[in-house]
Amino acid sequence: MHMATTLTINGETKSFDAPPEMPLLWVLRDILGMTGTKFGCGIAQCGACTVHVDGKAVRSCVLPVSAVANRTVTTIEHVGSTPAGAKVQKAWLEAEVIQCGYCQSGQIMAAAALLAATPNPDDSDIDAAMAGNICRCGTYVRIREAIKHAANGRQS
Amino acid sequence: MSGKMRILTGIVVIVIVAVALGVWIIRGPGPLDFAGGTKVALADYRAGKPTGVPAKLEKASLIERGEYLAKSADCMVCHTKPGEKDYSGGLAFKLPFGTLYSTNITPDKDTGIGNYSDQDFLNAVQHGKRRDGARLYPAMPYTSYTLMTDEDVLAVKAYLFSLPAVRAKAPDNTLSFPFNQRWAMIVWSAVFNPDTRFTPDTSKSPEWNRGAYLAEALAHCGECHTPRNLGFALDNRKKFAGAITAGWRAFNISSDKATGLGNWSDADLISYLSLGHAPGHGSASGPMGEAVDHSFSQFAPEDISSIVAYLRSVPPQPSSDLPATTAPVAPASHRDGVTADARGKKMFASACASCHGWSGESPVSPMATLTGTWAVNDPAATNVAQIVISGTRRHTPDSALSMPAFGNAYTDDEIAAVANYVTARFGAKGSKLTAKDVAELREQTAE
Repeated sequence: MHMATTLTINGETKSFDAPPEMPLLWVLRDILGMTGTKFGCGIAQCGACTVHVDGKAVRSCVLPVSAVANRTVTTIEHVGSTPAGAKVQKAWLEAEVIQCGYCQSGQIMAAAALLAATPNPDDSDIDAAMAGNICRCGTYVRIREAIKHAANGRQS
Repeated sequence: MSGKMRILTGIVVIVIVAVALGVWIIRGPGPLDFAGGTKVALADYRAGKPTGVPAKLEKASLIERGEYLAKSADCMVCHTKPGEKDYSGGLAFKLPFGTLYSTNITPDKDTGIGNYSDQDFLNAVQHGKRRDGARLYPAMPYTSYTLMTDEDVLAVKAYLFSLPAVRAKAPDNTLSFPFNQRWAMIVWSAVFNPDTRFTPDTSKSPEWNRGAYLAEALAHCGECHTPRNLGFALDNRKKFAGAITAGWRAFNISSDKATGLGNWSDADLISYLSLGHAPGHGSASGPMGEAVDHSFSQFAPEDISSIVAYLRSVPPQPSSDLPATTAPVAPASHRDGVTADARGKKMFASACASCHGWSGESPVSPMATLTGTWAVNDPAATNVAQIVISGTRRHTPDSALSMPAFGNAYTDDEIAAVANYVTARFGAKGSKLTAKDVAELREQTAE
């Protein structure tokens, strides 16, 4: 059953028809054409599909679209306009974190949510927030470094 | 009578009295004896109609009525092996003394019940007797179904006979001696099968009577939620006090305030039964998840309400191994709260936190909230481990949520570690599961 749904995504109101149980990721990619958020495992175990709902990092591949009605969604396309997201993206470029890049939308979204909640994370905070975001290229060392740089605003 | 004869007679009388007393003690009360009111024959009960189908189906065909009753009795879940055709049997029940397989109840003449007459079917469902005269094992809950009216049993038969015949022979049971002696079930059945049809209680409301019929005769709640006695029959002295069945804990559903349903609102109970989820009480998983998906979610709303009315009347039975209150929300930061198992924490961070949150209140959906559920507040962590092993899935009219099965991804040791961490962080008392415990839980699950 399709139903008209209205969501606030990246500050804009979007209306579309979708079954209520459709994962948010499918809505983003297939209906709204916002392909910055990636599909990885589809079972919330890799983190590639991470978006923010009310500022918290969630896996959009398992999140039914009906669950985000009346909540604020931010995706990789817009995270640069949040203070934490801007810092993270800058640090990412400076540290040249990315290798193949597939997981990086999710990594950046998870890191931005971490910094928004915990401005000065230590290693254990980074572990707790980032452990669910897997990087096949193994850029973990640079991810950790970039998060720390983004936190204290240092230039690398 | 000679002296010897007198002594012998005396011994025989003592033995008979002792056996009768033993049977009486072991058997205990029947499932509805707690109510204690005045019973009348169904035909003489005028206040309502506790049996049959809800009003909206009263005029439906026999097959449609049978379908509703078959779903209410949840025949399909046990009589279908996952991935195989509905009702074609073959599901394995792993018991401590071997494996039992459910039978094909499609109308196939060779491997199913296609040759069953009405009387044959009544014999099986109400009396535990197979068409060839052999006795059924009580894994088939005929001691509950025996309360069904003949009319309702035969409606179920009409429905089953309307389905496609499937040729599928269940594997042979692998029970060890003495459990492989089917004839012994004659004795078991004589002791433990009440072999009576439902009799309404005039001291209770029509709604209660309908609920009693649905819960006892059809839904057979007690088969999982009532502990078993020495003879593996239901011990109704502890009615609905909770028990372990097929490796999952069926929690206390008596009216006990602390550890039963006493503190659940009607709305919570209605939501849990019909949708498999109630806010703050978690989501039905494992065997109860199946019962909701295939049975309770198909019930008419007034039938769900009747079951709730009935459940409310079951005397409280405290579960002494459960905490008096469930734990509150855990701290939002991973730093605060218990630091139990470091390995468990690492696993939780990578595999669980993104959906369940560090506080236990899910950022994704209330259906994935851990706070307040009995699963995380059970110091034995039985259902936490089982859900990690086999995953879970909830589908409601306006939402769907699933958790993947981690059973093949993680070792027993890892599953024990994460279960211990989860119960310590989100529950009242952390579990102490070992890899061996997890291996045993895997063994018990039906498949």
